Amino acid sequence: MPEHTWRARGTVAVAAVGALLAATACSPGSGPGGGGGDGDLSGVELKVAAKWTGVEQENFEEVLAAFEQETGASVAYESTGEDTGAYLGPKLEANEPPDVAILPQPGLVQEYADQDALVPLEGDAAAALEENYTDYWKELGSVDGEAYGILLKAAHKSIIWYRPDAFDEAGVEEPETWDDLTGETAATLSDAGITPFSMCGASGWTLTDWFENVYLSEAGPEKYDQLVAHEIPWTDDSVVQSLEVLAEVWGEEDLMAGGNDGAVQTDFPTCVTDVYGQDDAAMVFEADFVAASAEEAGATVGEDALAFPFPAVGEAQPVVVGGDIAVGMTENEGVQELLAFLASPEAQTTWAGLGGYLSANSGVSADAYADEFTQQLAQTILDAGDDVRYDLSDQVPSQFGATEGKGMWSILQDFLRDPADPEATAEDLEAAASES
Amino acid sequence: MSTREDTAAVDPAAAPDPGQGAPQSSLASRIVSRLGSGLLQAVLVLIAVFWLMPTLGLFISSLRSPQDNSASGWWAVLTEPSQLTLENYASLLDNEGFVASFFNTVLITVPSTVLIVVIAALAAYAFAWLEFPGRDWLFLGVVGLLVVPLQVALVPIAQIYGGLGIYGSILGVVLFHVGYGLPFAIFLLRNFFAAIPRDLLEAARMDGGREFTIFRRVILPLGGPAIASLAIFQFLWVWNDLLVALVFADAQNQPMTKALQSEMRQFGANIDVISSGAFLSMVVPLLVFFAFQRYFVQGVMAGAVK
Amino acid sequence: MAITGGPEGVSGSGGAPPDTGTGEATAAAKSGRLGPPSWLALVFLLPALLFLGAYMLYPILFSIYRSLWDAAGTQFIGFSNYTEMFTNASTFVALRNNVIWVVVAPIVVTIAGLIFAVLTERVRWSTAFKIIVFMPMAISFLASGVIFRLVYEQDPESGLANAVITTVQDTVSPSAAFPDARPRPEAPLAEAGGGYELADEAATDEAVLVPLVGVQSDELPEEAEPAAAAEPGGGDTLTGTVWVDFTRGGGGEEGAIDASESGLPGMEVQAVSGGQVVGTALTGPDGTFELTGLEEGTYTVRLAADNFTEPYNGLTWLGPTLITPSIIGAYLWVWAGFAMVLIAAGLAAIPREALEAARVDGATEWQVFRRVTVPLLSPVLMVVFVTLMIYVLKIFDLVFIIAPGSVQRDANVLALEMWRVSFGGGNDQGLGSALAVFLLALVVPAMVFQIRRFRRENA
Repeated sequence: MPEHTWRARGTVAVAAVGALLAATACSPGSGPGGGGGDGDLSGVELKVAAKWTGVEQENFEEVLAAFEQETGASVAYESTGEDTGAYLGPKLEANEPPDVAILPQPGLVQEYADQDALVPLEGDAAAALEENYTDYWKELGSVDGEAYGILLKAAHKSIIWYRPDAFDEAGVEEPETWDDLTGETAATLSDAGITPFSMCGASGWTLTDWFENVYLSEAGPEKYDQLVAHEIPWTDDSVVQSLEVLAEVWGEEDLMAGGNDGAVQTDFPTCVTDVYGQDDAAMVFEADFVAASAEEAGATVGEDALAFPFPAVGEAQPVVVGGDIAVGMTENEGVQELLAFLASPEAQTTWAGLGGYLSANSGVSADAYADEFTQQLAQTILDAGDDVRYDLSDQVPSQFGATEGKGMWSILQDFLRDPADPEATAEDLEAAASES
Repeated sequence: MSTREDTAAVDPAAAPDPGQGAPQSSLASRIVSRLGSGLLQAVLVLIAVFWLMPTLGLFISSLRSPQDNSASGWWAVLTEPSQLTLENYASLLDNEGFVASFFNTVLITVPSTVLIVVIAALAAYAFAWLEFPGRDWLFLGVVGLLVVPLQVALVPIAQIYGGLGIYGSILGVVLFHVGYGLPFAIFLLRNFFAAIPRDLLEAARMDGGREFTIFRRVILPLGGPAIASLAIFQFLWVWNDLLVALVFADAQNQPMTKALQSEMRQFGANIDVISSGAFLSMVVPLLVFFAFQRYFVQGVMAGAVK
Repeated sequence: MAITGGPEGVSGSGGAPPDTGTGEATAAAKSGRLGPPSWLALVFLLPALLFLGAYMLYPILFSIYRSLWDAAGTQFIGFSNYTEMFTNASTFVALRNNVIWVVVAPIVVTIAGLIFAVLTERVRWSTAFKIIVFMPMAISFLASGVIFRLVYEQDPESGLANAVITTVQDTVSPSAAFPDARPRPEAPLAEAGGGYELADEAATDEAVLVPLVGVQSDELPEEAEPAAAAEPGGGDTLTGTVWVDFTRGGGGEEGAIDASESGLPGMEVQAVSGGQVVGTALTGPDGTFELTGLEEGTYTVRLAADNFTEPYNGLTWLGPTLITPSIIGAYLWVWAGFAMVLIAAGLAAIPREALEAARVDGATEWQVFRRVTVPLLSPVLMVVFVTLMIYVLKIFDLVFIIAPGSVQRDANVLALEMWRVSFGGGNDQGLGSALAVFLLALVVPAMVFQIRRFRRENA
């Protein structure tokens, strides 16, 4: 399916959910969400914390600089490291939280709201959210009807990356359905002596992404939401079925580089290097941001690093989106203004132009993104319409969905190690979900 | 009856020595005669190699490019010495964050070592040579505190620091190390000071010396070796700490250990930074160890049952 | 007793000045009339007391208090945190692992230290040996953890531990050239004892086809040639071709030799009759083989299991089952030097007369060691053992660094769980405090041991 081969030019290509929202929900003349204004914040010092480092950090700081210029406030950025919870925990305990934090999971929004650690969006910030975001995204940042967070940066999690020369050697095409993927693509690659998949099992979140895509496609968005809310138990048949589907890959030692043991010991992005640097495998499943690691391993995205949409297990191909949510943690002057600014199409358009960014803001137009790759990504989201879902593991409490060595991460790692008993795994998941 | 032997056992300076004076008939000598000295030597050489190999592996890995490291084991340099490169170190030293963390480590380690030595020396002097009510009980308390796990203090101190506004700062980390290093430091120095001949002190007091003068002129010079042991032990202890930094140092103030730990999540992908960084973090402790090996061994031995 | 003084001396004295015994200090205290007023003592003690109060006494009390409150610290919940601690699966694993650690690690390290101390007693270069073994004490647990993470890598190409065992294993039984080669499911081959055999028997003077897949082009040796159909042999010969039935880039007919398909050289082919191997041949560069010297008739053509021996991949050191033993191995590497040096000091202090007397009485070396050396050494061994136990209870860094994310849960220990629960994302300082208090309770016996030892020696 050549039209599904997203080719991107030289630079690290990243995606645009924004395009979808731009097309479906764009209200004419949606202006600045109240960008804060008229230089009336001079002398105000704000602290913003997010996990971004390197280029991502520089780009974000450039966006912050625009706010500084506009308002006269000064904003200091601080990196939280990989584990945002571990960073904020002691800060909160010491009663010294940053003014604005970018949380990697809505689950954390819920947790911190429960601890009274968050300040609800007010005034301009609340208006900006109302104006620029659709209901689904608004609810993501809300707890008990109170809006706290803004989905600031998104990631497209329903694509599988591959090495075209491996596909050529085996003479296979991009699959459209799961059955094609396992029965045809993977099997033929394996016949050709090429290991089909490189797994990133040591990074637990990649495994939850596998599950979410299979589950969303097979059980559908409604059940997906019910599972998020824990309205159906994890022992539900649909969960067991999805685990069985996963086992079609995870249970076949020959389909994964290094077998099951290797799969569970390889971290992200080593798994990407295994495909693009070492040529150990043909495919690796993860989000749009794989592009950066693939380039680092020496591949050119769009030429020798291509991707296809996650194949349909059930009726439709799944579209799972992840992303980071900005919340206010203090009542200091300038916090709401900064949040309003971050929620504005202007700020996010600037960011989109810098690259490595995907917006969920309805006011960010598609041409904010320069490359074709992002636009095609956005198209799949458009096609999925109301069926787009946010990363499940990031919506449940982080103890269950996003903690190293706990909950979904470690249970799915156990399942990858030995996928013999999907029912027992479902029971483990249910037990862990009930506990948190 | 036993003072002589005690001293022999006690003098840690003797510990790393080959024990030349020991009579012929020890157990080891019989083993030697049975197995033959050659076999024993061979076994010991094997153990020594076994002990050196892991460190050597880290060092060589740090001298290879990430590509080489993911393609083959470090021992591949035996056949291809051209793989060796200083690039990892060059890029690490170019990395502001890492260089800053090195200086943070120094900024944390040096002041806490100095503070511990000074405060502990004062207290140890009081415990050893000053008379005051409840002295023995108080000192027993210090002995008891030796084994308190520092986990107990993490939560309470985090809260206090939050209130004081020093949470995340280098000052907070330094003070925490001082607090937790003191029982051992007092214990070690007090035992040493107590062993200084009483006559020396009595004489100094007769001469009308004031306590601070005696402390400075008599005790500190005599206590040199013990203070050196303590200082080196504490220096390495703080330099190598991870847990305290993990909780109390924020991103700008983090020492090397915490900076490296944050790379561990992606061990496979970051092996270039991790191996060279870990080795650099070892350089100072190793230099200190080889330069002051005798004092360090004393300090560690005195730390038995901490 | 000469020896009882040993360890105390070791831990007490700094070295140089003549050890006049601790009794001296007490004597000085009693005759302290000459000394200064006691308020001066307070001046000397004040900084230390402030620190000890703020960093040790207050935290102990506050932790106990805090452990009775919920995560947010707003609601009094009695002992719920403690119940939670013993019922929660993850804390339970931590507790279990801590028990394993405390039981195994101190014993292993003490024994290693004892062995090293005894072995080095009479060796000329023992100083060098001791320095080498002691060196890991100087570096951080973080660095040691990184070092062992490298040693324990799964891939024998990069992990030292597996490189060593696979090298040994491979010398004993080498692996095959094409371990992953296999027939397609629909190919006329059946699995047989680890190898494969043709489903139908073949007659002499027939030429058979043995199609395999799963071999990548760059795995083929240089000598490999395009596959050729074998000429049927004479009456006592069975011929055939073993080849890679996969056309690069797709296409090609399954089960037939296509133009670009390669032969598989060096495969061992057997002719089997009535369960007996009656003929053996190796395939040539084009994949053809000739089984000669057979009696006329039909045979099962089999590819022996040896052709498919998987390379031995070593042990999964960092997997969920071996992770704790693996980390204990790293712990041994760090601490053996400590045990060795203390025990060596103890050995040096054993009065020679005692050993001589036993020998004169006709005791064997082993008896001397068991009956004289070990008992005389036991106070030192006890100190080493108790010290190690205290450190093992608080083990944190090594586990945190060596265990990869996927097995952190299996490797968990109390100190790690305490950090994780209160700071590392758990955000429950109530439960964290309960764990800290529990850790404190566990070291109380050591505290008592320490105080009693101190009092005995200063009595």
